Amino acid sequence: MLFNSLTFVVFFVVVVGTYWLLRGWEARKNLLLVASYVFYGAWNPPFALLLFATTALDFYLGSRIAGASTPGTRKAWMWASVASNLSMLGFFKYGNFLLANTQWLLERAGVHYQPPHLDVFLPIGISFYTFHSLSYTLDVYRGVCAPTKSLRDFTLAVSFFPQLVAGPIVRAADFLPQLVSAPALRPGQFGWGLMLMTLGLFQKTVLADTLLSGSADTVFGHGGPLQWLDAWAGVLAFSGQIFFDFAGYSTCAIGAALCLGFHLKDNFRFPYAAVGFSDFWRRWHISLSTFLRDFLYIPLGGNRHGTARSAVNLMLVMFIGGLWHGAAWTFVVWGVIHGVFLVLERLLDWFINKAQINRTRAVQFLVGGGTFVVVCFAWVFFRAADFTTAARLIRAMVGAFPHGDALLGTRELWQVGLVTAGLLFAHSRLRNTSLEAMVATKPRWLVVGVWTVMLCAILLNQDSGNAFIYFQF
Amino acid sequence: MPSSTSNFDFRRVIPDLPWRRLALTAALLTAVAAVAWEVRARRLGYAPTHNDTSDFWAQERRKVQPDSIVVIGDSRAIFDVDLDALEQSLGKRPVQLALPGTCAYPILADLVADEKFHGTVIASLLPALWLAPEGSPIDESLAALKRFRTQTAAQRASHELALLLEQNLACLKQEDLTLKQLLKRIEIKNRPGALVAPKLPPYFQTTDRDRRMRMAEACAKPGPLQDRVKFGWLELFQPPPPPSWIPKEEFMKAVGLAVEQRFKDTAATVKKLQARGGKVIFVRFPHTGEVKKIEDQATPRAGPWDRIIRESGAPGIYYSDYPELSGFDCPEWSHLSAADSVEFTKRLAPHLQRAMAAGR
Repeated sequence: MLFNSLTFVVFFVVVVGTYWLLRGWEARKNLLLVASYVFYGAWNPPFALLLFATTALDFYLGSRIAGASTPGTRKAWMWASVASNLSMLGFFKYGNFLLANTQWLLERAGVHYQPPHLDVFLPIGISFYTFHSLSYTLDVYRGVCAPTKSLRDFTLAVSFFPQLVAGPIVRAADFLPQLVSAPALRPGQFGWGLMLMTLGLFQKTVLADTLLSGSADTVFGHGGPLQWLDAWAGVLAFSGQIFFDFAGYSTCAIGAALCLGFHLKDNFRFPYAAVGFSDFWRRWHISLSTFLRDFLYIPLGGNRHGTARSAVNLMLVMFIGGLWHGAAWTFVVWGVIHGVFLVLERLLDWFINKAQINRTRAVQFLVGGGTFVVVCFAWVFFRAADFTTAARLIRAMVGAFPHGDALLGTRELWQVGLVTAGLLFAHSRLRNTSLEAMVATKPRWLVVGVWTVMLCAILLNQDSGNAFIYFQF
Repeated sequence: MPSSTSNFDFRRVIPDLPWRRLALTAALLTAVAAVAWEVRARRLGYAPTHNDTSDFWAQERRKVQPDSIVVIGDSRAIFDVDLDALEQSLGKRPVQLALPGTCAYPILADLVADEKFHGTVIASLLPALWLAPEGSPIDESLAALKRFRTQTAAQRASHELALLLEQNLACLKQEDLTLKQLLKRIEIKNRPGALVAPKLPPYFQTTDRDRRMRMAEACAKPGPLQDRVKFGWLELFQPPPPPSWIPKEEFMKAVGLAVEQRFKDTAATVKKLQARGGKVIFVRFPHTGEVKKIEDQATPRAGPWDRIIRESGAPGIYYSDYPELSGFDCPEWSHLSAADSVEFTKRLAPHLQRAMAAGR
């Protein structure tokens, strides 16, 4: 079920209305659990069973980890959880990719191998809910969270519908405590939740789908050389589209959860105003970057074993981060580009005292601009269907085809230019504050005006039932 | 250690504003704006009608039974065929699966791939679209089929809700009144040589619950709307320029091979259906004026039409072969008016009956 669909509007009204009408906390949790499975099952009912199987297995393994008498046994149960989750993810998401690469490698070695094509349907949101569930056993193992005794609560923590299919990756350790007692709505919480849902839908349907996706699709779908203006416009359009699409989903999820009395952490913090790559990853898909930091980078040794080892760890994390997004080498290259720049930044830190350099606004502006440009170049690999397309676009961006095709109309160029300028302006203004702090200082008429404009624009986009980009991950 | 039995200490900040009052005010203003927009849409001549979405198409596709009569093809099959009139004559209500601006071959292939299907397919054969080797005409058909195969329960429910709203609100006309379409109306001169696709003319039609489209009166009578639609076709009926990065001869050769393959595939698909008792009847619908000149020049009857009929062995009804079918005027050169489409279908029905009876 998509947030930007009529079904969801009805679903949400019914669920929220019934939820607050029910008196008992246990009954409310039961309702949320059923609603979450309906939300997921409305896409493909059999895969709801898979979701439950993953959850039940991790519930069991969590209790075995907690009850293990020796460190070795604890570790064995933890690895059992990691193996089961990653195997399932690997089968559904990476099966054909692995087979194709095995075939390629064997052919290099002179062995002919024709792998079967696995006709596998990717369960929506599998990358997200696998991590939701896995975070529980890993946190129980790390001693960060005690195991829950309620399968119902854990099942709800993994499947809570606002964040189920496209994040944020809410850790069980952050969600389970909120299920202990009934949340009380603070003044304004419901209204602010609705405001966030409006903002999220506006980002998705108006900014991403209506104003940017067409230009990005045209440029990335073109099979020939194109002019630098079109290449840049297409890449900027995608840079904006992916932010508004994904941040829009997260904002909706946070808003929907607030309406139900739950608190989810931010997943984006104005990333295009990042000064440097480590700053970017503190602002972009925060729930994934902290997941990879806590469960991969730090266990690998983090930065505790010298610069070289730290660089290797970073590259490995970004390699896996890239692969998490999709079973293609283009995603890996995207991750590796980020990894390389993270490492370069560390090395630069080693030679130069960054704190001193970063003191001036001019330098911050330049480094921030440079970061954005490199991030845009990296998005080319993320969005392009193959390396040929990516290479052609990169060449076009640096002006290699002065007589290439002019693809976009003047109106589309203006749309991309204005939305990108607005996006960068908003991010740079808000980089050191929060949306909540900014809104609190604005006059009421302005808040109502902006809210109304967003609602009207969403209504005008009633044809935009497009799936969120991150659903495919 | 934070535990699942302790209280979670993270709380989101709620900006200190009277949110209930703000929400109600925003909702009220939005409602006022929506009513104003609805009034404006009706003043512009719009009336409540359904949007022809891929969900709608998928819903109709599910209605196909093994012995159904199915209409496929381009917009002419959807504007010019009256399902009531056809039901009266053929004794069975046809399922309308034509898709404006598309190549219907993938739809035919999909129907025939269903081994249980042995019904009748009435196919509008507009050669430039039927033989389109790639691009939007093929993509749109494939997208509709994909939706049919993957449509979820939530999408079906959303479609049903949309139908309820659309039958009461005129401002929900997706082809003209969404933000995306309104932005396209902004006239800004493009760079010289920009490969911007020509704008689709406003159809200005209504669509009923059976995906039957009717031309609006404002388009059927001479006036600015009719002219906009008429002259909009001229650009759209021109073939797109060949890609700049492939030598023209090479490209034309590839197109020629793809078209050749389509001829063969069409014949094979039709024969496959015939072999199990089904039937495909090709129909060439009326078209007039400048559109007819362009089509006659690019795809003369002696070319693709005759060849497809000859190679497939399927019956073909070419409107100009029959005096009772050839006297119709297309107000915007490409489709019949709503009133004429009923009369045309009544006159077409006996030809279809004969074609269906032939060979049995």
